[in-house]
Amino acid sequence: MEEMTLNVSTAALCADGLSRMYGAIRALDEVNLTLDRGITGLLGPNGAGKTTLLSILATVNEPDTGRVSVFGLDPRDRAERVEIRRRLGYLPQELRYHRHFTVAGFLDYVAILKEITDRRRRADEVARVLAALGLERRARTRIRALSGGMRQRLAIAQALLGQPELLILDEPTAGLDPEQRLRFRELLSGLPGDPVIVLSTHQADDIAAICPKVVVLLQGRVRFAGTPSELAATASGRVWAAAERDPGAHLSWRGGDSRWRHIGDNPPDGAELVAPTVEDGYLLLSHAVVSDDRH
Amino acid sequence: MTSPVVPCAGGPSGVELLASYAAGTVEPAVVWSVEAHLPGCARCRCALSGHVDQQRLVRNRSVLLVRAAIGDEGPVRRLICRFGVHDHLLRLLAATPSLRRSWLLSIVGVLAAVVGEAAAVRYGWIPSGRPGGLAGYSDPEVLAPFLLVAPLIVLAGVAAAFLPVFDPAYRLAVAAPFSGVTLLLVRTVSALAAALVPVVGAAFVLPGPGWLPAALLLPSLALSAFALAAATVMSPRAAAVAAGVAWVLPALLLATAHVPLLIVQRPAQVACAAVLCASFLVLLARHDRFELGWKR
Repeated sequence: MEEMTLNVSTAALCADGLSRMYGAIRALDEVNLTLDRGITGLLGPNGAGKTTLLSILATVNEPDTGRVSVFGLDPRDRAERVEIRRRLGYLPQELRYHRHFTVAGFLDYVAILKEITDRRRRADEVARVLAALGLERRARTRIRALSGGMRQRLAIAQALLGQPELLILDEPTAGLDPEQRLRFRELLSGLPGDPVIVLSTHQADDIAAICPKVVVLLQGRVRFAGTPSELAATASGRVWAAAERDPGAHLSWRGGDSRWRHIGDNPPDGAELVAPTVEDGYLLLSHAVVSDDRH
Repeated sequence: MTSPVVPCAGGPSGVELLASYAAGTVEPAVVWSVEAHLPGCARCRCALSGHVDQQRLVRNRSVLLVRAAIGDEGPVRRLICRFGVHDHLLRLLAATPSLRRSWLLSIVGVLAAVVGEAAAVRYGWIPSGRPGGLAGYSDPEVLAPFLLVAPLIVLAGVAAAFLPVFDPAYRLAVAAPFSGVTLLLVRTVSALAAALVPVVGAAFVLPGPGWLPAALLLPSLALSAFALAAATVMSPRAAAVAAGVAWVLPALLLATAHVPLLIVQRPAQVACAAVLCASFLVLLARHDRFELGWKR
């Protein structure tokens, strides 16, 4: 199990030995993580423990064992937990809304929860995030009348209220079309103050496009921590293309050019090796974990 | 003092004045003159737009749109604010389901059905099939449905204010720094008041004893306080159910024994007062359990 080798004493976010059970299901298993400012992608399939980990980091949930430190603050202490929340912007997975709210009304409500009690400052903040997400013209629209993509943009907007130092975004690009995903990437890249951003996804191309750092979570454990190029490099020499399907490959699929792309430990002699992508590295790692569990 | 004459934008002095006005460097009297002139002069308005920071205009426009979208304070809200209640606390009530029009209308509907049934029996529109009631007022058994339902309506309103299932954005509230206790207090007090008004009002309309409206207050408060106190030791949903059962069982038993009014008479009032006091003490000691998220 790899760990990010950052200076723990200066890291913005540290998780040490986090474990969490839901009944008999081990959602997190001795997760160790240290993160600094910048964007970190949390990659893993459904049920890997991403949402559980993010909810713990967001102080919404608590671990069964282990410790968390956010900007040197311990969420087990109530005062420090509140201080963490003052610096936090959180986008939970599949956020639900009070459907009678308008877009601006909902953001106003969330701004109050973030202790922005002055009316004028709240209006300024709401206007700022609406402009950032291109929702200014929807300020008076009822949430129930919004499309799925607009609701997701609204969900991102509420997380940005108060210019948080820590952004925890669970599946932020779900439901966004390609242009909106591009705008989201631009938005994250241009946030002032260089916040700590942790976003989860099961889309490897989001990781490759946005995140300088990536953590792969599989079956509740951190299986990789490093850069996207390092993750891709783990599949070096193990990705090949062919005209026909290779039964010896772990995974095969036909690409847009009608050629088969294969991922496996033992490419056949003379195979046409291709440059691996982040997704290739992730799939190979995922397959290895599943295989280990079977044995 | 006479206000200066504002030269139009057709000349250099007019353009210079507009530029100074946009930069905020003119005297107040001149500002007044320019602003009095602008509505009637399209040329000056057009010329002025060239001197204004467009980005600032866009930002201001966005803020104005937001304020319009959020809504102005209505007369009721302004009145409440005059009593020292902060505007942002009132805004939080917008997310309380038991303050929604649909919820309140449902309460009115239920009460109308129950009170209507009692009145229909009392005035003979529906035959009761029972012997004549106590002297002074109608058969108390016609009050049984109302006595069963009324405090439950208040309990339901309070439960809707603190049960996570009724708050779609619950996880956002958990992850936010705003005090969970304050949020709960604001919502439950408001829900309590909103539910008590129609319940007590219906009690006045009901063909029952004159003391019935007042007699409902203590049981309603005790039931709600019990639910909140119980929520500090068990799940909120279980607490609400427990409180409901604690009322329904004796109400039904007394109704089947043909003495439904006993549930709001003196011995029951004393019991409710004791429950209210005990619940209050539990809430004082364990209110931190309502701080959302990490409980330890």
